[in-house]
Amino acid sequence: MARTRSKPAPKAPPPAESTPSTIKALPPSVSNAPKLFVLPKDTSEDTRIVTLDNPATGTPSRYLFCVEKGFYEFTRIVAPRKACKSWLITSEGADVEEKEREKEGLQLGSGYVSKSPDLFIATPVDILFLILPALAPKTAKETKQHFLCLDDHLDTLTSLSPHWKGLLKQFPKLKQRVETRMQAICDTVDAGDETMYRISQEKLLGTLVKKAERMSAGTFPASLEEKFIKSALEVPIMNIKREDSGISEISTTTSIVLEDAATPSTTTESQLSVTTSQDSQTTATTVSSDSEAPSKPALATPPEIPHLLRLRTSFTYLTTTYLPPTLRTHLTALLSVSTSTSIPNFAPLTTHLAALAVLKAEALSLRSISDNISHKRNFEEDEERIAEREEKKRKKDEDEKKKKNESRAVKQLKKVDTSGMKKMSSFFTKAAPKKKA
Amino acid sequence: MLEARLQQANLLKKVVDAIKDLVQDCNFDCNDSGIALQAMDNSHVALVSMLLRSDAFEPFRCDRNIALGINLGSLTKVLRAAQSDDILTLKAEDAPDVVNLTFESPSTDRISEYDIKLMDIDQEHLGIPETEYAATITMPAVEFQRICRDLSALSESVSIECAKDGVAFKCTGDIGSGSIQLRSHTDVEKPSNNVEIDLAEPVALTFSLKYLVNFCKASGMSESVKLCLSNEVPLLVEYGLQSNSYLRFYLAPKIGEEE
Repeated sequence: MARTRSKPAPKAPPPAESTPSTIKALPPSVSNAPKLFVLPKDTSEDTRIVTLDNPATGTPSRYLFCVEKGFYEFTRIVAPRKACKSWLITSEGADVEEKEREKEGLQLGSGYVSKSPDLFIATPVDILFLILPALAPKTAKETKQHFLCLDDHLDTLTSLSPHWKGLLKQFPKLKQRVETRMQAICDTVDAGDETMYRISQEKLLGTLVKKAERMSAGTFPASLEEKFIKSALEVPIMNIKREDSGISEISTTTSIVLEDAATPSTTTESQLSVTTSQDSQTTATTVSSDSEAPSKPALATPPEIPHLLRLRTSFTYLTTTYLPPTLRTHLTALLSVSTSTSIPNFAPLTTHLAALAVLKAEALSLRSISDNISHKRNFEEDEERIAEREEKKRKKDEDEKKKKNESRAVKQLKKVDTSGMKKMSSFFTKAAPKKKA
Repeated sequence: MLEARLQQANLLKKVVDAIKDLVQDCNFDCNDSGIALQAMDNSHVALVSMLLRSDAFEPFRCDRNIALGINLGSLTKVLRAAQSDDILTLKAEDAPDVVNLTFESPSTDRISEYDIKLMDIDQEHLGIPETEYAATITMPAVEFQRICRDLSALSESVSIECAKDGVAFKCTGDIGSGSIQLRSHTDVEKPSNNVEIDLAEPVALTFSLKYLVNFCKASGMSESVKLCLSNEVPLLVEYGLQSNSYLRFYLAPKIGEEE
């Protein structure tokens, strides 16, 4: 600060009634605004919100607990950030008396405007998932687990999330319910008059698959169906129809190359490329034949595939949202090797998807190869090199652009001889990335 | 949500002009105490640190700490569209993709509005400790600018020697050598012309003139400039701004090649 300059005189306090404002200020928004929830009907009186560990992430999360109906999880539904939305909440059947008073201006309405358009919906969640953290192996390596009695398992549970303790004490019914669900996924041993439990991954897998089957019984909701099923199973169209015979010459050459490269992929597809290439070779110059060229998908989707994919999507969803990470890897591995009849066989799906991936990659490379590149090189190699080259080119362009935008002064500074000058970081220590005041 | 209203667009224009040759992309860190900026030049030998306190704005609102990664070239382009006495308002959301600048002309009813796309800038942030410097020189900003400009015609580097009797700026180049001697000086009529030397122990350090000339681009921001020196630490060149805000430049000394 310039010490030579006289200090500015302290600002006189603004005269009190200098600016009679004409605009009435709205009351300030509440910092801890109420949130909008959709809660289940007819819950018991003891219903409460508890904090329990989320089985998948291990972080404490809120759940709604009702003795009669069990646990509910909250799902937050968010409007897109750009959409300007808010909630106007009024009591629908406000009692008549209140309305009367409102009319007479004796009381303000009880309506409320909430700025955030979020909506929390409570949906039932299987108690099974909530007890999983206590049953799951602590580390991925730990494979052998001991049989423990119910109380021991519950102890582990309470040590993970303390709210369990209160719940179990207050609602003895809950303990029974935990036990029945535990039986569904555990191996049991009777030791004296006590039953000991140990998690059985096979049983858990079976339960999950049943759940997934129920989820994927029909079709998914339209947006999910589009995202996970349709787009995943889309077969790329290999031959692009061209009206111009001059260009059709080129498409002939590409399809020949395709024929060479397509040998490792599925037979249906290589057959197709043979026929098309013959087609266009024999009648390359005639326009009509080209427009007749088949645009039907190169790979037919077997009828059972969509259902399998739906099933697998559901299963993946269940494992990622509800299972502890240690169990997740085990179960996914188990799913692929399991031979039990109750477990669906995903092999046809995997092969189909792999074939699709090959097709898609080819379609992509066909599209990206410009016509004048020599076609002698192998496809895989080409793809990599093209990507590499494009990356290099992009970088170079960016650098060049940057250089062009550099002002003269910046260039001059670059030329400065900085020998003997230490870097700033040798004088000042690195602070945490989040700033000082 | 950030909303900061600056009575004079000129302030931001000048700040950006002063540093845009030194750094190209940088983060403007906004929090409830104001808007801060810290960035190093390409060779990491100089550092700019700016703080515009919330008092400099009327009103200032910043609900959450946000970093606005801005290309200063782009910012200059947009600020060029502002008249120097326009009222400038900076606005950004809590997790912004763009920063919005509004220029209101106080005399006419013209309001112009610009959005600048933000970028993710990965910058290391250095912690700068409060240092007791061996020598602190306060002088008119123009005077310092002139010294740097004159000496840069002769040489690449200048040695600043502070002793009891005053401060000397000396350089030696191919065509010869030059030296400028300043003594404490008090101008009663115009306090901004004062030269003040506050010395704890004698210091002599050598600095790159090109960088100093670059720092002097901030001369328009303040009437006087403060140079703080200590042996073996970077030189601090500080331009004080209104309401305790500042623009500071740090420059590493040249060590081991004094001619």
